[in-house]
Amino acid sequence: MKTLSNHLLLLVCTLVLLPLSFQVKGGTLNVCNTCTYTSVKQAVKAAKSGDKVVVNGGVYQEAGIEITKPLTLVGVNRPVLDGNFKGQIITIMADHVVVKGLTLKNIATSYTRDDAAIRVVERHQVKILNNTILNTYFGIYLQNAEFCEIRGNVVSGKDVAGQNESALGNAIHLWHCNNAVITGNTLRGHRDGIYLEFVKDSHVKDNLSQNNLRYGLHFMFSDGNVYTHNTFRKNGAGVAVMYTRNIRMEYNTFENNWGAASYGLLLKDISNSQIYHNTFRQNTSGIYMESSSRLDVQRNTFDRNGWAIRLLSSCTEDVFSQNNFTGNSFDVSTNGNSTLNRFENNYWDKYTGYDLNKDKVGDVPYRPVSLYSMLIEKVPSSVMFMRSFMVDLMDNVEKVLPSFIPDQLIDEHPVMRRIKDDNHREFTKTVR
Amino acid sequence: MKFFLKLIFFMVLIGLLQSCAVESKPIPYGATNCAHCNMTVADNRFGAELVNDKGKPFFFDSAECLMAYLNENAAEGEKAAFVLVTDFTKPTELVDARNGFFLQSKNLPSPMGMNLVAVANEATATQLQQEKGGRILSWQQVLQAVKNNENPQ
Repeated sequence: MKTLSNHLLLLVCTLVLLPLSFQVKGGTLNVCNTCTYTSVKQAVKAAKSGDKVVVNGGVYQEAGIEITKPLTLVGVNRPVLDGNFKGQIITIMADHVVVKGLTLKNIATSYTRDDAAIRVVERHQVKILNNTILNTYFGIYLQNAEFCEIRGNVVSGKDVAGQNESALGNAIHLWHCNNAVITGNTLRGHRDGIYLEFVKDSHVKDNLSQNNLRYGLHFMFSDGNVYTHNTFRKNGAGVAVMYTRNIRMEYNTFENNWGAASYGLLLKDISNSQIYHNTFRQNTSGIYMESSSRLDVQRNTFDRNGWAIRLLSSCTEDVFSQNNFTGNSFDVSTNGNSTLNRFENNYWDKYTGYDLNKDKVGDVPYRPVSLYSMLIEKVPSSVMFMRSFMVDLMDNVEKVLPSFIPDQLIDEHPVMRRIKDDNHREFTKTVR
Repeated sequence: MKFFLKLIFFMVLIGLLQSCAVESKPIPYGATNCAHCNMTVADNRFGAELVNDKGKPFFFDSAECLMAYLNENAAEGEKAAFVLVTDFTKPTELVDARNGFFLQSKNLPSPMGMNLVAVANEATATQLQQEKGGRILSWQQVLQAVKNNENPQ
C-alpha cells in the first residue's frame, strides 16, 4: 500500500512538474552596445538550453546565427539584425525555439540555396512571433518542421508593381510541415505571400497578403487545411489551390487581382472542399476552376468582377448556392457543356424574371452563361465587342430562344432579393 | 519616286518575313501562365518553353510541366521547332531540352514537386549531383519518369 502511494506521489509530481519544466526560467543573456554581449551570435552561442537572450535596441551587422538549443530570442526596443547580403540570418536547428520582436533585413537572391531571414530545419514547436523582415529573398522558411506557429510578422520584399522581377522568393514558405498555424501576418512584395507544399492540417488565419508577384496564398499537394478571414489584395492571383483535397475556405476577401493572367481564386485539381462566406471584389476572374470536383460554394459575394466564375467543363459535381452576383461583366462562363454542376437559389442582379406568387423565388429559371461569354472563351479577342449593340442583340435573342448555351447550366430557382449575410459583414469589418 | 516605292515594298517584305521567323522568345516571367498547369510562370530557374512549327510559343513554369504536356500531346513535340528548358545554374538561359541533362534530387524542390532541375551539359549535371545527390536523367528517361510520376526520395 505504501509503495503504491509512493508511486502515486511520484506520478502526480511528474505530471505537475512536466509541463513546468519547459517554462523553467533559465538565465537571461542581455545583448546591447554596453552589455556583456555585443553580438547576438556570441550570446546565442554562450546560452544554455532554456535560456533567454534579450536583444535591446541597436543595429547588429550579423548573419549566420545558428540556434542549436531551445532558446528564447527576444528583441526589445526594435533591434535590427542586418544580414548585409551575406547569407541567411537565423537558422533554427532545435525544438521549442521562440524568436520574437526582431527586425531582420537584407538577404541576397541566391538561386541554389534559397536563403531566408529565418529558417527552421527539421525541428518542431518553433514559434516565430512579431518580427519584421525587410528586403530578403525568402522571409520565413520552414522545412520538415511540425507544430510551428508563425504569428504577427510583417514580411516586406521588393516593390513588384510594374516590374517582371522574378528574383523573388516566398514571404512564408512551408515545405513538408504539418499542423502549422499562420496568423496575423502582413506579407507583401514577394513571389508568393504564403506557399504551402506538402503541408497538412494547418490553419491560415487573419493574414493580409498584397502586392505579391504571383499568389497571395498558394497550396500545392496540401490536404486538409483551413484558411479563414484573410485578405488577398492586388496579387498576381489571390489564392491558388492545386492538386489538393479537403480545404475549407471561409470569410476571406479577394480583391483587386487584375490582369490578363489574374484570378481571385484559382482552383486546379481540387476536390471535396468548402468555399463559404467569401467576398470576391473587382477581380479579372473571381473563381477560375479546372478539373475540380465536389466543391460546395455557398453564401459568397461576387461583386464587380470581370468574370465571377469561370467553370471549365472538366469540373464535376460542384454546387453553387445562395451566392450573390452583382455588377459582374459575366456571371458564369464555360468552355463546354458543364452539365454536372448545380446552381440553385443564387441572387443574380441580371435576372429579369418575375415572382408572381411572392415566395421570393423567381418563377422562371435564370441562365447565368451568356452566348457572348461562350464566344469569348472560344475567341478571346472578341472581347473588344463588349457592350456593343450586336452583342446585346445576340445575347437577348439567345435569352429568348436558347440554342447554343448549355441548357443544363441553369439556376431553376433564383432568389429575388440579395442574400443578406450580416454575419459575414461583421467578420470582414473585424478583419479590416 | 519609283525608287522610294521599291524601297517601301522591300521594307514591308522584310518586316513580314521577320515576323514570320520561327524563333524562341524570352519567357515573360510573372506575366504569363503555364500552358499545362495554369500557374503563373514566376521562378526563372525553372521556366520552360515550346515553340511550335508555326512559331507560336507556349510557356511552362517548370520542366516537368513541359514534359507532362508533351506526354499528353506527343504530336506537338514531334513537330515543335524548339523545346527549351532553363539551365538551373544560369537562370533565364534557355537550352535545348532534347540534348539537356536532368537531375532529380530531393534536395532540389521544383515547382511541381518532382524535384527536377535541368542543366545544359553533363559536366554541370555531375557537379550538381555531387553537391545535391540524386540521379541524372536524359531527355527520354525524364519523359518516362514524368509519365510514371517517379519521384524516388
